[in-house]
Amino acid sequence: MSVPAICPVGDDALAVKVGEHAARHALASVLRSSGTWLDVVPGKCEVTVQFDPLELSPAKAQSLLVALMKEYSLSEEIVFPIMTLHMLADEASAPDLPRIAAENGLTPGVFLDRIDASLLSVDMMGFTAGFAYLTGVDARLVSPRLSIPRQRVPAGSVGMITGQLGLYALAGPAGWPIIGRIVEPLFDLSRHDPFTLEAGMRIKLVIER
Amino acid sequence: MVLAVVKPGALATLQGSVRHGLRHQGIPGSGPADALSRALANRLVGNVPDATAIEITFGGAVFEFREDAIFSFAGACGAAELSGALVAAHETQFARRGDSLVFVHPPAGARTYLAVAGGIRADNVFGSASTFLPAAFGGYSGRALRSGDILEAPGVAQEGVQLVTPEPFRPHMSRTHSLRAVPGPDYDELGPAAWSETFPATNRMDRTGLELSGPWPRPENGAQKLSAALFPGAVQLTPSGKAFVLLPDAQTTGGYPHVLQVIRADRHLLGQIAPGDRLRFLRRSVDEAYSDLLAKTRYFAEWLPAFRF
Repeated sequence: MSVPAICPVGDDALAVKVGEHAARHALASVLRSSGTWLDVVPGKCEVTVQFDPLELSPAKAQSLLVALMKEYSLSEEIVFPIMTLHMLADEASAPDLPRIAAENGLTPGVFLDRIDASLLSVDMMGFTAGFAYLTGVDARLVSPRLSIPRQRVPAGSVGMITGQLGLYALAGPAGWPIIGRIVEPLFDLSRHDPFTLEAGMRIKLVIER
Repeated sequence: MVLAVVKPGALATLQGSVRHGLRHQGIPGSGPADALSRALANRLVGNVPDATAIEITFGGAVFEFREDAIFSFAGACGAAELSGALVAAHETQFARRGDSLVFVHPPAGARTYLAVAGGIRADNVFGSASTFLPAAFGGYSGRALRSGDILEAPGVAQEGVQLVTPEPFRPHMSRTHSLRAVPGPDYDELGPAAWSETFPATNRMDRTGLELSGPWPRPENGAQKLSAALFPGAVQLTPSGKAFVLLPDAQTTGGYPHVLQVIRADRHLLGQIAPGDRLRFLRRSVDEAYSDLLAKTRYFAEWLPAFRF
């Protein structure tokens, strides 16, 4: 792989254009552990670092990243841990499931079978605290965003748009149709590590029917 | 020192330092929307620049001192009433037990910072006392201040040095704003119009950001980009043909076109933009923005040696 492009994001951040690639999470953790950057944030196809220009001038930050990327090889073979999560799919937990299944010409049971058979992984965290974007959802399943977002869904709600699941770690507004609810807490401040998920993890959904 | 909240106004929160290192988990920096005014208030009571203070939005807040206290305020409100007597911003003030402190709606600006000696005690979460309302943590039990809340600070009130912010360091509150910005990753969708037009702020504003109307291009087919990291100061085009400027509690990633980025040295100005205010953007390169930051930091270092934009 050639050395990826590095582009400015404003005057105090730089994006390494890695591509839509699981290796960006490994790169992010290398960058994070260097202690050089204020924040290291993977997006869908890049890893963005923020710095304090008073500590590290923009020119130095750029050359530091260029040097690092020349040394660093983006490995294709990173194995991430598997996390098992239990999902409720009863009427209260999955208010949009019957409609979305019907729009796909499926019974809720068959629809859930296809979710079950999907190879899910956490593609990105972000948006708000603990929110996880899961990719790998069976591409045949179509689910557009809600035209009017819900004001409030319970913590753990599983939203779905075509190709992706979104796990709402916190109760709050939600624009994706809701097809289930995760039983395990996804964000719990009382724990030593409040975050259940991290980018790169593979997810095994156990659907409680 | 003990302070009771009688009326919080539109929104009052405790804000301490900026949280770093967790944006990849969806946790933004939070902290004051106008970090400079908060540092100026803290300076007058002998606090470090990012000591926890109260961020008051649009005035309308009332407090009661339950013990003698040393306090100061800076930002939108140029004056307040201390048990009926006018007290000025940018001066060390002394309150007696039982005194009330009343802030009215400021004629310009949006946020006022009330600091007390020693800083206000608050929940420390992920290394910062700043309130993050969407996830309900930090500050005062993770929520906005309400009538009846009791705030404490370890500082003991002793009549001491009375400081006044020297005139050259007092930010001027205005209904028009000039913000220096560099082109963002999706600048091509906006083009040079950004530098010649004036953009009014709409009524939509909170600690996550503020909306600007005006002649913004509507993104093609409401096109979503692939989600990428965002930071405060980002200017994004929205599907409704407006722009949204991110503030300290904003989401950490997003997919709307990111057309401009307000430079680090000027982001504190975003905290004083009120609905109806008018904004202009002044074009900078990354190198110019770096020189601007060095120059502004040097300028304020005389009065705020430890403050960082």
